[in-house]
Amino acid sequence: MSAIFPKWTSRLPLILIVGGFLTSTSVVGGLWYYFTPKYTRVGYQPVQPVGFPHSVHVDQLGMDCRYCHSDVEKSWYSNVPAATTCMNCHNQVLKDDSRLALVRESAASGKPIPWVQVHKVPDYVYFNHSVHVARGVSCVKCHGEINKMVEVQHSKPLSMTFCLDCHRNPELNIRPNDKVTQLDWVFDADPHAAADKQLKFGNAAVKDWKVNASQNCSACHR
Amino acid sequence: MKTIPPPCPEPESGQKYWRSMDQLADTPEFRQWLEREFPAGASEFTDPVSRRNFVKIMSASFLLGGLGSLGSGCRRPEEKILPFGKTPEGYIHGVPQFFATAMPTRGGAIPLLVKSHENRPTKIEGNPEHPDSNGSTDAFAQASILGLYDPDRAQRYTQAGNTISKEKAIDTLTVLGRNIGGARGARTAFVLEESSSPSRHRLLTALQFKFPQAKWVVYEPVDLNANRRITGGAPYIKLDQASVILSLDCDFVGSEADTYRLIRGYAKGRKTEKATDKMNRLYSVEGLFTLTGISADHRLRVPTSQVVAVAAAIAAKLAPQNAQITSLAARLPLPAGVDAKWVEECANDLKANAGASVIMAGHRQPAAVHVIANLLNAALGNNGKTVFFSEIPQATVNSDLASIARDLTSGQIDTLVILGGNPALSAPADLKWSDAQGKAKNVIRLGQYEDETFAASPATTLSVPQNHYLESWGDARTSDGTLVPIQPLLAPLFDGLTELDVLALLGDLEVKKSYDIVRETFRAFAGAGNVEEAWKKFLHDGYLPGPAPKGNDAPLGGDVIVRAFSTINPAVPTKESLEVVFHRDLKVDDGRGSNNGWLQEFPDPITKVVWDNVVLISRKTSEELGVKNGDVVELELGGNKIRGPIWVQPGFADNSLGLALGYGRQKTKAGGAGRIAHNIGLYNAYALRTSTGLNFAVGAKLTKTGETHVVATTQEHGSMEGRPIVREANKEQYEKAPAFAKNFDLESPGHSAHIKKEMVGMPPVERPAAIYEHPYTGYEKRGGQAGVTVKSVLASDLHQWGMSIDLSSCVGCGSCVLACQSENNVPIVGKDQVIRNREMHWLRIDRYYSGAAMKMASHLIDDPQAVFQPMLCQHCENAPCESVCPVNATVHDEEGLNVMAYNRCVGTRYCSNNCPYKVRRFNFFDYNKRSLDQLKGPYYGSPLTTSKDGELNVLRWWKNPDAGTRPDDEWDLLKLIKNPDVSVRMRGVMEKCTFCVQRIEQAKIGQKVKAGMSGDVQLKEKDGTVPKVACQQACPAEAIVFGNLLDPNSRVSQLKKNERDYDVLGFLDTRPRLTYMARIRNPNPKMPDYKDIETPKNLKEYMNTQGSPFETHGHASNEGHGAAVHAEKKGAH
Repeated sequence: MSAIFPKWTSRLPLILIVGGFLTSTSVVGGLWYYFTPKYTRVGYQPVQPVGFPHSVHVDQLGMDCRYCHSDVEKSWYSNVPAATTCMNCHNQVLKDDSRLALVRESAASGKPIPWVQVHKVPDYVYFNHSVHVARGVSCVKCHGEINKMVEVQHSKPLSMTFCLDCHRNPELNIRPNDKVTQLDWVFDADPHAAADKQLKFGNAAVKDWKVNASQNCSACHR
Repeated sequence: MKTIPPPCPEPESGQKYWRSMDQLADTPEFRQWLEREFPAGASEFTDPVSRRNFVKIMSASFLLGGLGSLGSGCRRPEEKILPFGKTPEGYIHGVPQFFATAMPTRGGAIPLLVKSHENRPTKIEGNPEHPDSNGSTDAFAQASILGLYDPDRAQRYTQAGNTISKEKAIDTLTVLGRNIGGARGARTAFVLEESSSPSRHRLLTALQFKFPQAKWVVYEPVDLNANRRITGGAPYIKLDQASVILSLDCDFVGSEADTYRLIRGYAKGRKTEKATDKMNRLYSVEGLFTLTGISADHRLRVPTSQVVAVAAAIAAKLAPQNAQITSLAARLPLPAGVDAKWVEECANDLKANAGASVIMAGHRQPAAVHVIANLLNAALGNNGKTVFFSEIPQATVNSDLASIARDLTSGQIDTLVILGGNPALSAPADLKWSDAQGKAKNVIRLGQYEDETFAASPATTLSVPQNHYLESWGDARTSDGTLVPIQPLLAPLFDGLTELDVLALLGDLEVKKSYDIVRETFRAFAGAGNVEEAWKKFLHDGYLPGPAPKGNDAPLGGDVIVRAFSTINPAVPTKESLEVVFHRDLKVDDGRGSNNGWLQEFPDPITKVVWDNVVLISRKTSEELGVKNGDVVELELGGNKIRGPIWVQPGFADNSLGLALGYGRQKTKAGGAGRIAHNIGLYNAYALRTSTGLNFAVGAKLTKTGETHVVATTQEHGSMEGRPIVREANKEQYEKAPAFAKNFDLESPGHSAHIKKEMVGMPPVERPAAIYEHPYTGYEKRGGQAGVTVKSVLASDLHQWGMSIDLSSCVGCGSCVLACQSENNVPIVGKDQVIRNREMHWLRIDRYYSGAAMKMASHLIDDPQAVFQPMLCQHCENAPCESVCPVNATVHDEEGLNVMAYNRCVGTRYCSNNCPYKVRRFNFFDYNKRSLDQLKGPYYGSPLTTSKDGELNVLRWWKNPDAGTRPDDEWDLLKLIKNPDVSVRMRGVMEKCTFCVQRIEQAKIGQKVKAGMSGDVQLKEKDGTVPKVACQQACPAEAIVFGNLLDPNSRVSQLKKNERDYDVLGFLDTRPRLTYMARIRNPNPKMPDYKDIETPKNLKEYMNTQGSPFETHGHASNEGHGAAVHAEKKGAH
């Protein structure tokens, strides 16, 4: 009796099983990686029209965040400074540097510099900078160590679970509000002691400041 | 487990509430309408294409869609941040600014505080600092912001039909002005709108000096200042000082001028804290069923033309010594059916309250009625107490519209200047204005639209786009004489001019810019001192106090009285010779609001009709003439004819027809209505309106055409089956049983009074455990031991929000509806969707008619009373919507708000099904981005149906996916009006009132920023940090109060302790955070039409065991009930 199926078909189940396993693993793995909140934007580092090294300005020169992002304490929006703010110093420092041509032009003409947006929450999320800063949430908690960055990079996921993690445990994330813009500031040089002090300070602050980091939908979605 | 709500029997006697004629007649259509959650077509698929085919095609398109998205990737698009090159001083991005300005009205103004986000105005609010404002507005003011962003506005300068540059237009204006000046104004006519602007008055005076021979006319199709024109004095009425008010067809809470302050004064006299408080009393004599008539304690229904006879009869009783009045009264017999006792007792009441009464005559009424009102106010000594007279200089006019039309026709006028207004639409039909205007050699037209007047003389017109008041410099005076600035919130969107600009150009004046003109005028007002500082303060505060209105007016000249009385000779309307009343529409005004989608979709407060005008008729007359709702009839009056749909209006005068102005406009190639206004309403009432009968006319004939017309109404949506939803009593009943409102409660778990007792620290009331225990329900939750309560850890102890609405002071004006729409980005849906019950208003005002005891459908009531009830999300603590949401999209927050997360909503609509109040709204389409065609189209079905041109919708979409959405340029304009603090909802999600959560959160954030490292985070009413919600802010009557229930001194806590407080459908144990205050009427027991308010019928069975709510507060066996009332009394003392 001649074979109806060719010989290789006897390996078919194995091929299907192995192939199916590989395909599903790669699909699941791919999706896992691609759609997980951690991936969303972390590592995003677009090239900006003017290379502004935060590391030089903040770390080396010791400028405060609020010199440029001056509305952060007053508005939901932390502004990117106008070119005239840059020119306050750069009309003296590096005043003919070619890298600053765009800034000089903008300050003179009023035409905005097209910065590429890095940090963004979706339109249906109403995040407010002023209240976080006033209540002791440091810039570093959401933006990472901007003070060390040459080019700004998206370092935290800024996903809903990221927000909620902090809202659920505010005591682990708040500090005196005059230390908010000191990104390197720690409670203690020793990590263990720092953690203890953080917890102690945090618990006291949550009680005394009546911190109620709301986990209700209405806190962010309106 | 299925819980069955308590039965609501419908006994045969007692107060009966009904929302429409259909309900009263209990037609099968109405039953069906009631029983369906969503109307026909919404819940099932009735398209000719089978479901199978639909699924096939849709799955194919999903597949394609899926492939498409893989290609484009999941990354968000790159976005740019564009900061300023130079930051304007004091500008903080993201923080809204407020500017004090004013909306000019006919001969007055409404002081405003306009919110501006990133230099675009987004919300209009009243200016609470103005001495004569409580920060409220009227509905027109709320909606006027949409007019600013109307894509149909005139956007170009044209001459002889050709677009020209602004510079050329200005040159032409200057040249024309010099020509007019050269001829000393001969053969020139100016047609103006009514205005209180002192700057305009100053320019007019200057121009009249320069052009001494020119003709000047002020024309308003609806002349709200009739009294001033007839009697010479501008009455300024302080209704809050009045105990007895007689309205002679004066709809002062609806269609008269200055409603925003008159409602406030009136409502002040309606509020009671306890049963013994004094209330004002309102008598109304009218033909239309107006808002004022609904508010009235006694309403006399007579045809509009017969009001004068009643007025004369009352006057004769009050001033028998005045021979002119008595002879007039003798000449005019009381209309048929009017009880002489009504007149007598009304007069007695006025007399008894001499000095604390006021008699108001409506703008529709002839001179005689105004004269009578003025004479009586003087005779009763009301002048200086309730009636004052303000001195607002009026434009000097030397002609009228009719003689201008005559001169135009006979060629005696070469140059016609029309500044604002739309005479080609609104002039009396017998003037044939369009033809007359065409005869002028030069027409200069300043207008916001390329409308009928633009189209009337295309070859000769120089058309100038007029700036909206939010982009103009100007000034105005409110009715108390206070000077208010009109300052621009943004640069003119279409680079138009203001009336002041044009007048200055024509007059070739030295100062040509409106800003400079206004400043120069201001200098005269500011007097000595630092004008610059005064000017800054003026702009900042939004007002400059003027001379207070005087108490005494110059007495009426004898000839005014003689002329007014001798000319009056009203014909009595009969069914063969009907009376026609032209009324200012509460939605589109006289037509100026007709291109405003918000106003078109704003349900008329009384008929609840949207996107249409109807022929109002009484029940009796309609039966005699054999017409019913929706029948298209032809009306003939003096040779002119119109066709319109019949609408039977309970409470309407017999043998009378009501016609709303401002509809039936057409868009033509040459100009005309905007695209929204185009073809809305079957008839244009102006076509029937002649110089001899501007407000009403007798002699119309009505014939049936046999056609019918579908009228969209929100009237029957969400009817509530006659439960004690609205509770009301007469003052006397209230005094006898102050807790009557609570006694109306059906047996309910824990009674309705539970909120406040726990909130303000009273002993908790035992109540059965709810079937569904909501995690956030309990401020007190049962602990392990019986009777031990522990506080829920999940509830905030800082704020628990609540609201109280006083039905006694609500007059149903609808400002709140539009304020909510503006604040919360609520879209409009179009007539077709409203017919399908898909309107989106978060806040609706339910209007219930009520009548005396009667049998269902046996006979109808012609003199009903009506009540209004604003209905919005009740923020139930035990919210039925939350327990059925499969995705937790609607949940409670810890401050007691029922919140809605749009991004979680998958659109099952279960919540809406389960909501007993029917306040949830579903986005069946992407309403915000629907194109006008779809918005206004007669029908929009599924993708597999064809629309007008026979093309399948899905094919149209395939060819051009954007065809169904608004074109980008239109959308760019319209999205400027959106409140950036509120999500714009997309298709497929549910939405509803949020108690303006954005305002609450912003207030909390503001307080926390202030608190910093301290615990001072609570919003306190005494510090003014508790936000006002949009509806509360807009309410002129201050009927809506919002606040923190945890603060025992907050206004809302106080009101909830009031004995009139009750909750709607309390027996469902939803525990609403929004409670109502029962309505109290104050009828005069001596009047022939006095009757007790009876209990709602469905209480009958309950009363068998509990007794009448007006006599006892219930049976002792009902522990919860009795305890609640006792606790309440304890709290009150």
